[in-house]
Amino acid sequence: MTARDPLRTVLPLLEVPRWRTVRAVLLGSLALGCSVGLAAVSAWLIARASQMPPVLTLSVAVVTVRATGVGRGIFRYLERLASHDVALGGMAALRANLYDALARGPVTGVVGLRRGDLLARVGADVDDVGDVVVRSIVPAGVAVVVGFGAVGLVAAFLPSAALALLGCLLLTGVVAPWLAARAAATTEARGARARAEVTARTLGILDEGQQLRVSGRLDAELAALADADARLTDAGNEGARTAGVSAAIGAVAQTVSVIAALWLGMGALAAGTLAEVELTVVVLTPLAVFEVTSVLPAAAVQWRRSREAAARLVELLPGGVPAAPAALGPATARRVPGLSLLTLTDVAAGWPSVPVPAVVGVDLTLRPGSVVALTGPSGIGKTTLLMTAAGLLPARGGMAHADADALFLAEDGHVFDTTVLENLRVARGDVTPDDARTALDAVGLTTWLDALPDGLDTTLGGNATTVSGGERRRLLVARGLLSGARVLLVDEPAEHLDAAAADAVVAALAAHARSTGGAVVVATHRLAAARDADEVLLLGAEPAGGPAVVKARGTHADLLRDVVGYAWAEGQEAAVPPAPAR
Amino acid sequence: MLTAGLGLASALLIVAQALLVAALLGALVTDGSVPGPTAVRTLGALAGVAAGRGLVAWAQERFAQRAAARTIAELRSQVVAHVVALGPRWAPGAEAPGTGGAQAATLATRGLDALEPYLVKYLPSLLLTALVTPAVLLVLGVLDWVSLVIALVTLPLVPLFMWLVGVMTQGTSQRRLVVVQRLGAQVLDLLAGLPTLRAFGREIGPGARVRALGEASKKATMGTLRMAFLSSMVLELITTLSVAVVAVGVGLRLVHGTMGLTAGLAVIMLAPEVYLPLRAVGAQFHASTDGLAAASAAFEILQTPVPAAAAAAAGGAVRALVLDDVSVHAGDRAVSAPAGLSARIPLGSGTPGGGRVVVLRGPSGAGKSTTVDLLLGLLRPDAGSVRLELADGRSVPCSARTGAAWWWAQVAWVPQRPAIAPGPLRDVVGGAGTDPGLLADAARTTGLDTVVATLPHGWDTRIGLGGVGLSVGQRQRVALTSALLAGSDRPVVVLDEPTAHLDAAGEQVVLDTVRTWRDAGRTVIVVAHRTSLLALADQVVDVAARSHADVPVLAVTA
Repeated sequence: MTARDPLRTVLPLLEVPRWRTVRAVLLGSLALGCSVGLAAVSAWLIARASQMPPVLTLSVAVVTVRATGVGRGIFRYLERLASHDVALGGMAALRANLYDALARGPVTGVVGLRRGDLLARVGADVDDVGDVVVRSIVPAGVAVVVGFGAVGLVAAFLPSAALALLGCLLLTGVVAPWLAARAAATTEARGARARAEVTARTLGILDEGQQLRVSGRLDAELAALADADARLTDAGNEGARTAGVSAAIGAVAQTVSVIAALWLGMGALAAGTLAEVELTVVVLTPLAVFEVTSVLPAAAVQWRRSREAAARLVELLPGGVPAAPAALGPATARRVPGLSLLTLTDVAAGWPSVPVPAVVGVDLTLRPGSVVALTGPSGIGKTTLLMTAAGLLPARGGMAHADADALFLAEDGHVFDTTVLENLRVARGDVTPDDARTALDAVGLTTWLDALPDGLDTTLGGNATTVSGGERRRLLVARGLLSGARVLLVDEPAEHLDAAAADAVVAALAAHARSTGGAVVVATHRLAAARDADEVLLLGAEPAGGPAVVKARGTHADLLRDVVGYAWAEGQEAAVPPAPAR
Repeated sequence: MLTAGLGLASALLIVAQALLVAALLGALVTDGSVPGPTAVRTLGALAGVAAGRGLVAWAQERFAQRAAARTIAELRSQVVAHVVALGPRWAPGAEAPGTGGAQAATLATRGLDALEPYLVKYLPSLLLTALVTPAVLLVLGVLDWVSLVIALVTLPLVPLFMWLVGVMTQGTSQRRLVVVQRLGAQVLDLLAGLPTLRAFGREIGPGARVRALGEASKKATMGTLRMAFLSSMVLELITTLSVAVVAVGVGLRLVHGTMGLTAGLAVIMLAPEVYLPLRAVGAQFHASTDGLAAASAAFEILQTPVPAAAAAAAGGAVRALVLDDVSVHAGDRAVSAPAGLSARIPLGSGTPGGGRVVVLRGPSGAGKSTTVDLLLGLLRPDAGSVRLELADGRSVPCSARTGAAWWWAQVAWVPQRPAIAPGPLRDVVGGAGTDPGLLADAARTTGLDTVVATLPHGWDTRIGLGGVGLSVGQRQRVALTSALLAGSDRPVVVLDEPTAHLDAAGEQVVLDTVRTWRDAGRTVIVVAHRTSLLALADQVVDVAARSHADVPVLAVTA
């Protein structure tokens, strides 16, 4: 009523052809139709047989009974294959579409996600949405077809009994599922927080278990996990009460429909409007029909669960039309020396989700060969400014204009679960092993490469934790060198490196820019790394807490001379040479 | 027990219903009418059956889940505790070969839920097969022995085919699990790398790969399903066909007059009930394999031998840490990091002026963080030994095996990647009920106060798992403050790269903090890349890696 049903938004992403779903419903209806037919025909057979007619008059019924006995199994098999085919295909398509949507949507939606959250969404949530086909849509369709079919069959003999049957079917097919869904809602409303807490605490303990052990907080954390789990159990208990009523309705309705058929049938028999054999069919058919509605409460619960999962997936999807990342035509590079590669004019930078920009009033022009260092205390907005310059974030004010492709190298860039070479080929598809070695050498990773068991073909572990922090940083810088982008915007390239290695990496970046006619901006809080730069921009918040501005700019030497804090901070870094052991 | 009782009651009510309906219907068809009082009595009894069935169904739904939920909670807590006890290489982030940290995380959060259908549905239906099937067979035998014979012949075919299902799907379901997990990991890897791919403008290509991976997984899954469903089709075929055979047999005997209609009707209503419990077992079979897989994964983790904590092996103040020719293999690389490390690290006196600052120095990848794990007894060296020298002159091995809790109680530790628990910042830093004054003091020392000032709700800001909402540098400050508060009664402080994410001015704050600790008589063991920390060092331990070919690995020191 209020918002668009999230399932309706997500279901098209499953790319399921309608006829496939219809086929599954038809096969399912045939299977359960066989079941109902078996009951109806064998009832007729037995009642007719008790009147001792010639055996030949029964032969059609006998064959029908046997055929339905065989048909049920076969049609059910075909239906299950058809519906699972639909569901699995849908899940695969949904995952691919999610990827595409995330790839084309604004980058902020992707960056804000944690690994665990992502795992839950592309894993369990997609499964839940896919399950709606097998567990909700197909069973509901089958129930409608077979339910009305059975009501029609009974109506042919005794309309009043058909009406009673319809009433009982609606009770089990509509009221019971509604109650079951409500029970699930209760469980979820009370359980969602508990479940989230259980997951968060579990991952938290596993992640920082060693720290908890050492600090002696482990037992307390385990107890908190047990408490959260107990709350989860309680929530399930709460919902079970309503679910119990739903189950009771299902059980009672079947017997009630038989009682009604017997009662109404007795009257009709006495009135002579119903034959004895027909009475048997009217009474025994309902016994088999309720099999079709027995799965509907579970189907309703699944529908609800799928809708919740779909809502979470919709959250993940970028709102509205997928916007192409800010105009950065890679082919617009005009290779005329002296012209600017990237211009920032009075740019304000900030995350769209934060009301106030982190940095304001930045002017910067990058020409071929420019090497610029961006410094300032951590958290001041260096990363945000770089991302804005790269067009990954929209400028909050002023104008960012790129005439060449600008590449942002994130501090926590992803190292993929594949070989060293393939990881470097993320930059450019046609990187040769020789290119790769040259780039790794430039950042000082040759000895590291030589120690790897399979050289460039060594697979780096999941999330690359077999790579140390420093090696990882240098690998990411090597990837940037190979990219062919003329403007490199590098976030903290010297992190996790000792002074010498850090300076070598910054020097490699500067040399790369000068030799290729590109430009490099290095964000670093380590001032010594700024020595190689043509220009240093020092960011700082003038009234503390307000947005940051460029407090000073100039060469490293200028700033050392003019800015008191700068010289002091630089002195802190370099003051002491490595001391021998005392 | 309750489940079994309710199941049996439900089955008996269905038998009663069949007999009542058959009696009334038989009389109606045979005689054309039934005396009013008899009809009313039968219908009344049927109404009673309806009420009974409703009650039983309600109770089943009401109580079944609770026991299962408790079992799962218990197992989860055991798995989590055990994985932590197994040491740093089992942390979810650490993918060293031979460990299953990431799998353990998936199992403890999501995998164990597969146990619920196993406990709630599969086990009870197995129990019902043992109880209900014989009871219904007995009634069937009394009514018509021929039908009993048919049922007795066909019934054993059901478990036979279930066994076949088991044999055929055992391998494939495990293969499927591997395929699906691999797909999951690959898709996730691509999604986790999306920001990186986008930065390089290469996000479009892998989309096709995600699609292809999905298609491959669908094909693999459908292949196994075709086989699994084939077996369950045979199962369904036997049971439905048996019911049909019973019905036809009854019909033919009725024609020949060797059987009464009432008995015949009761038989065809009861025949499906004979097979129902077995069919339920078959239907839940996949739940059972998933549940068993989860259970066996859990037990596999629980059975991984954990260094058993020998109770109160040692205690007392520690005088020095002694590393003797210690080497640790570095993951899958042919490198030991550290390699052949020997050092004696005397600890401070604990009295003002008697503190010490010890710096672990070495190029990146040399094994400095691993050395910290060794000193804390979280990891056992592959060669050499790590010992603690006690104040009373004794020397004890340092490992979790000897029950290191007494040693940990003396240590405050800030690791390289401090994981931050979710919750309000105040609780995360100090635990609930920390004195606000102490909190403010500690925050001023580490510079966390300036971070707090920028947060929307100050100290009450909720931060997510892993410190979502904070930058890397801010997380480091949170961890440092937390260690400061916890460290007030811990004489040894271990900092791993404490300045890595701090700027020059922030670094000065840390240096001051370290100096304060030393002045207070504490021992500070610091993993450092920056020269600034070396100025404070009373002792520098050089850590180096070595490739297994015995060639020193000179990782960029020039």
